[in-house]
Amino acid sequence: MAHELQQNERREEIEKRAKFCINDNMDLLIEILKRLDDRSLGVAACVCRLWCALTRNDSLWEHLCFRHLSPQPGGVRTMVAALGGYRRLYMVCVKPVMTRLRLGKVRWGSGSEVERRVWSRHEVELSLSLFCVDYYESVLLGGGRLGGETSPPSSLMILCKAVNV
Amino acid sequence: MKRDRDRGKVEAAVSGSATAPSAAKTKMWAEPPQPDAGMDELFAVLGYKVKSSDMADVAEKLEQLEMAMGTTMEEGAAVLSTDTVHFNPSDLPGWVESMLSELSNSYNFAMIQSQIGISGESSSSNQISFSNDRQAVQQDGAKFIYDDDLRAIPGGAIFSNKQKDVVDSENENKRMKSSTGSEFTEKGSSLAGAADAATAARPMVLVDSQETGVRLVHTLMACAEAVQQENMKLADALVKHVGRLAVSQVGAMRKVATYFAEALARKIYKIYPQDSLETSYSDVLQMHFYDTAPYLKFAHFTANQAILESFAGATRVHVIDFGLNQGMQWPALMQALALRPGGPPTFRLTGIGPPQPDNTDALQEVGWKLAQLAESIGVEFEFRGFVANSLADLDANMLDIRPSNVETVAVNSVFEMHRLLARPGAVDKVLNSIKAMNPKIVTIVEQEANHNGNVFLDRFNEALHYYSTMFDSLESCGLSQPNSQDIVMTEVYLGRQICNVVAYEGAERVERHETLAQWRGRMKSAGFEPEHLGSNAFKQASMLLAVFAGGDGYRVEENDGCLMLGWHTRSLIATSAWRLRAAV
Repeated sequence: MAHELQQNERREEIEKRAKFCINDNMDLLIEILKRLDDRSLGVAACVCRLWCALTRNDSLWEHLCFRHLSPQPGGVRTMVAALGGYRRLYMVCVKPVMTRLRLGKVRWGSGSEVERRVWSRHEVELSLSLFCVDYYESVLLGGGRLGGETSPPSSLMILCKAVNV
Repeated sequence: MKRDRDRGKVEAAVSGSATAPSAAKTKMWAEPPQPDAGMDELFAVLGYKVKSSDMADVAEKLEQLEMAMGTTMEEGAAVLSTDTVHFNPSDLPGWVESMLSELSNSYNFAMIQSQIGISGESSSSNQISFSNDRQAVQQDGAKFIYDDDLRAIPGGAIFSNKQKDVVDSENENKRMKSSTGSEFTEKGSSLAGAADAATAARPMVLVDSQETGVRLVHTLMACAEAVQQENMKLADALVKHVGRLAVSQVGAMRKVATYFAEALARKIYKIYPQDSLETSYSDVLQMHFYDTAPYLKFAHFTANQAILESFAGATRVHVIDFGLNQGMQWPALMQALALRPGGPPTFRLTGIGPPQPDNTDALQEVGWKLAQLAESIGVEFEFRGFVANSLADLDANMLDIRPSNVETVAVNSVFEMHRLLARPGAVDKVLNSIKAMNPKIVTIVEQEANHNGNVFLDRFNEALHYYSTMFDSLESCGLSQPNSQDIVMTEVYLGRQICNVVAYEGAERVERHETLAQWRGRMKSAGFEPEHLGSNAFKQASMLLAVFAGGDGYRVEENDGCLMLGWHTRSLIATSAWRLRAAV
């Protein structure tokens, strides 16, 4: 008898909680999304249209790129925006650089790996330079090389492939 | 009884069916041999002429032949179907020898040798007897001349001289011994009939030839030596043999051997490709090289770092690039300039390039693309292109250099300076022009090798070592490349360089690489002082390598202010920075 009462109470609580919809509280949602890693963001993008739009917001990715960096050098934002945005920066340069340099991967509870180490100036500079080269190669030089090559310039594609280290 | 066993044993061997001959052999040799020196009567009955005194020898060789045939059959090699003419099979010793020598040229040779050496059987010093006198006798005769004059192969030369080394299998099998063995010289020259006393001074190499790879290298070096001695007939035979050996290899060794063999063939037959083909694809090929291997990236990043540091505080900067190609070096520099504290300077770029065969203005196109990039990242940009066949054709006046209080100048040369060494006086003229430009910094990236020696053979050996290392390093890159076309093009790019170093001479041989030490001497005597590349450059280079190369075999080294990138212990390219010596 008492057991049933407890269950009912719990059910009511759960119902009450369910009425709280995260989608109504965008600030909260964004705060949460800010703390996710790239893979989780990708998963989150598949939830619904709202979440998809949110995860494409470049500032989320900016946070992902440089969250561990103390004040960024000025003007980075405009530059990155011009060269294709933070999301592209992350996918093309930041992530591979981090993985290749094995910047202190730490396993979080669920098993996803999040970089905990603070970026140094050098790594930032390198990533940005590589990003710039990538932009030049793929956007500007893209069609010119060998006229009609189907695969894109692969200077940085090597970063996308796992390396046999 | 004894004779029956004799006959049985030999017949079994000849028919190729293995019946534990060694057991029979030991029994056989326990009995004393025939005292008479004439032909063995029993063999004569069968139709074979064998001297009794030779029988031990012949039996041993038959055994080896049987082993060789057995192993060859396993491998399925078509060696036995080569067009070799054997005369007089009734001359059993001679026939056996010719069969053995033919088989010995397949890659089982090494295996047989190791079997013979290690099995510990009593081995006379003439196991596979390529005795000199025998061959000298037959040199002019129509008999025993194979298609490719295999007597000249150093493999045989090694074995008849160094039998004792075969058993000593403890020797380290170093593939790339760069010194030539003078035993090759002796064999080659005695067979060819020309003794070259000068080459006798070279150090001898004792090598354990257990791999075809080593044989391949030896054959290449012997061929180069033949070319040096103008013995084209021998060189021709050897180069064909290299082609055959190369096919049995895999990976880097095969590619290197193929390219070198091709280059040697060009030199021997004096067939050179059209000039127009050379220049038209060089840009494209270099792009592939940029994508595949970290060398060019290393070059660009280290040079950029030096230039960036020298531009500190300048409001107008001017970079003169001696080899613009696709302008891959400059986006990174522009980006770094854009983000520097205080904002970017006005960036002016002068690009120099060769004339294009189809008369398109490639330089202007590159300039335009760089301008677009500059606009995106907010850097004021100015571009000018100069077409010149050679850097020596240019003058500082043409470049419209503004006075130094207005703009800061940097001169950059990646793999361009060595070409000037093809024409006498060109490099000095260019260095003077550079001085006239009054640069704050001059960055030079060059291959770290001496491919400009006067002696062809030395050049060849150096190049062989250098490009083998280079190709080895590419093999490791190949593992992570999604696009194999890149790798192929990169190999073509390097293959062209190989061809140029080996096959060309005079003004057309432009790949005259020199070592950092040599360039240092040259720059210092021309009036430049070294500018040390700082720790920033080193860190960035190390990071770059860790990102792009998996950190496997590549090494960044600092050499008295210059940075070198190498594969394992061998440095392959070097970046150095220079400034004008302050007037005293």
